[in-house]
Amino acid sequence: MKKVAFVLLALSLAAGSFGQAKITLLQNKVEIDKQMKAYAATWGKANNVEVTIITSGGDNGDMAGMMKADYAAGELPDIFVIDGPDAYSQWANVILDQGSEKWVAQTSVAYKSPEGKVVGFPVAVEGWGMAYNADILKAAGVDPLKLTNLAAYKAAFAKIDSQKEKLGLKSVVSMAASTGMGWVTAHHNVNSYLSNGLKFGDKSVAMMALDGKVDAKRLADYADWVELLFNYADKTVLTTGTYDDQVGAFMTGKAAFLHQGNWVDPNYVSAKATFKAAYAPHGSSSAVTDGVFVNPPAWYVINKDSKNVAAAKKYLNDMVFTEAGQKYMVVEAGMIPAFKNIKLQPTGPLSRSIQDWAAKGKIYSWNQYLLPESFRNDTLAPLYNQWALGQIDKAKFISLFTAAVATLKK
Amino acid sequence: MICRAKHSPVFWLFLSPVLLAFVLVIVVPFFMGAYFSFTDWSSSAANQGGLNYVGVVNYQKSLVDPKFLTSFIVTSVYTVTNMLAVNVVAFGLALLVSSQIKGRNIYRAGFFIPNLIGGLVLGFVWQFIFNKAVPYLGPLLGLPALANPDNFLLNITTFGNSFAIGGLLSLVIVGTWQSAGYIMMIYLAAIQSVPVELHEAAQIDGAGPGLRLWKITVPMVAQAFTVTTFLTLINSFKQYDVNVSLTQGGPSVMINDQAVAGTQLLAKNIYDTAFTGTNNMAQGQARSVIFFFVLVIISIVQVTVSKKREVEL
Repeated sequence: MKKVAFVLLALSLAAGSFGQAKITLLQNKVEIDKQMKAYAATWGKANNVEVTIITSGGDNGDMAGMMKADYAAGELPDIFVIDGPDAYSQWANVILDQGSEKWVAQTSVAYKSPEGKVVGFPVAVEGWGMAYNADILKAAGVDPLKLTNLAAYKAAFAKIDSQKEKLGLKSVVSMAASTGMGWVTAHHNVNSYLSNGLKFGDKSVAMMALDGKVDAKRLADYADWVELLFNYADKTVLTTGTYDDQVGAFMTGKAAFLHQGNWVDPNYVSAKATFKAAYAPHGSSSAVTDGVFVNPPAWYVINKDSKNVAAAKKYLNDMVFTEAGQKYMVVEAGMIPAFKNIKLQPTGPLSRSIQDWAAKGKIYSWNQYLLPESFRNDTLAPLYNQWALGQIDKAKFISLFTAAVATLKK
Repeated sequence: MICRAKHSPVFWLFLSPVLLAFVLVIVVPFFMGAYFSFTDWSSSAANQGGLNYVGVVNYQKSLVDPKFLTSFIVTSVYTVTNMLAVNVVAFGLALLVSSQIKGRNIYRAGFFIPNLIGGLVLGFVWQFIFNKAVPYLGPLLGLPALANPDNFLLNITTFGNSFAIGGLLSLVIVGTWQSAGYIMMIYLAAIQSVPVELHEAAQIDGAGPGLRLWKITVPMVAQAFTVTTFLTLINSFKQYDVNVSLTQGGPSVMINDQAVAGTQLLAKNIYDTAFTGTNNMAQGQARSVIFFFVLVIISIVQVTVSKKREVEL
């Protein structure tokens, strides 16, 4: 009798685990890995689905490589992220059309394929401008609301630099340009050249670049801006600093400005910072610009060949329409929601600032993903690094940048 | 005449698991990869439904790519330097540990421990030492210049900014720290197998320790030299994880008016070609095949030359 009961128990357990649906989600936001796993576990229990979260990102992360290996093994996750047209074109054949999902009506920044199909669920709304420490700026006598163009920043940086000791700063701005941090310069900073001051959705400068041409006046202004950032940065952080070094300098009050996006809010919390912080526009243009760069950093797409499309769809919908999902996205992960129906606000000061700018409609596009990733990583990043190391000057940078863009023409 | 016993079925039975693993994990992927290198293989869904034969295009493109050639040169320089450093240090350590010094057993274990730590961890630890600890300790020890980021080892370049000598030196330092213990063990075994009678006879004839070392120990451990040179050559050429964690491709250098990563060794170049950015797995595969043949040729030459110098007792 006991034996039979045993066998029945074993069989039912096996059947249970066979019957339980499984979905895998691959993403690259290291800073919310813990919160994501906690939410997935709760959701999974409530829906009888086993959810596995895989996170691959940060300084040495390589999600793109991981996805290629997974695909070759036939194990592409059910939900994964794409960050732009380059990534979309690589995976277009296996991405599911999500046009008929409930969440589509609640957002204006879903990812649309070139044919107009809605395929991507916006992970969040993120952005960057020049993050500033409002308390330090006040003590230095600089008005952040006047930081709107190159000339204003030049004056402000000089003023703050002259009061460095009094304010307890090591440098005016915390900027990183080592090879490992090439994404700060060649992905984010170059976007100032591509879209600062242009109407949201205007891709003209990026399209010009893909045709091998540069806008000389824009580039000259932009080079002045990079020179300003490099000159007033802490040389150690600039040439060898890691992500933690760069963000930590700002969070501990050693720098007045930071060149990073609102995703650094968790660092603000862990540094137990209490200063007021917000974003000002980048000063890459001699003309006045009044906006920051806001966009979803990535979109969740569903694998067409997934064995559990229904569970994957429900997972995404529940993030928007259930209280637990909304709380996870906004309160626990600290992300700005991309959906109209969610009324919660993130708690971090930089995220609130981005949400503020977005609510006023003062946003510029993220155009850096229109340039091929290998171009940004292998050609642009070393170029910025050369300038940061002091091996080339501004004029040489401009000529090499122009030559590099010329190679983009096919 | 050597008599060869016929291998019994039991022999093959015991050998089969390892043989199977070897064939499945090394032989089969090698030939599959070689096949893929002649196609436009890309392991993303972009190429779903078709693998097109493209001939030697991938090889042609790789051989004219300046980044590949730069990686080749940098890797070759690194290999030669690392081989020298590791073997000299390991031999020295082996001599130390085989002498009558006190605590030699502790030293033996201690020198070997870095080899047990993974390359990634080593790279991060030494990155901290080079970028944070040295600049901090320098001024305290009376060398304030060390606190200047221009003097950080990982930032130093030479030959008109076209060669990241600092990055390479740092890779050699970490590579030596990683491998010296392991190679030391091989030398130690060889040194200890030199018959004591030879040393005693030489001492009676009036030979000092230096002469004994050069005329007796070194020729007798020539067989170990073959093995260690081979091992260090191959391991240096294949260096990847320390490269990624210590320098991430290193400071940039300027070659032919193009800014390129200064310490991108071959393995990292192949990985980046295949996986990061462009979806060029076929070209990455072609580079791997080229890499394989280069290694095979170099190893065969090295082993042949070394074997000629061995002394059999």
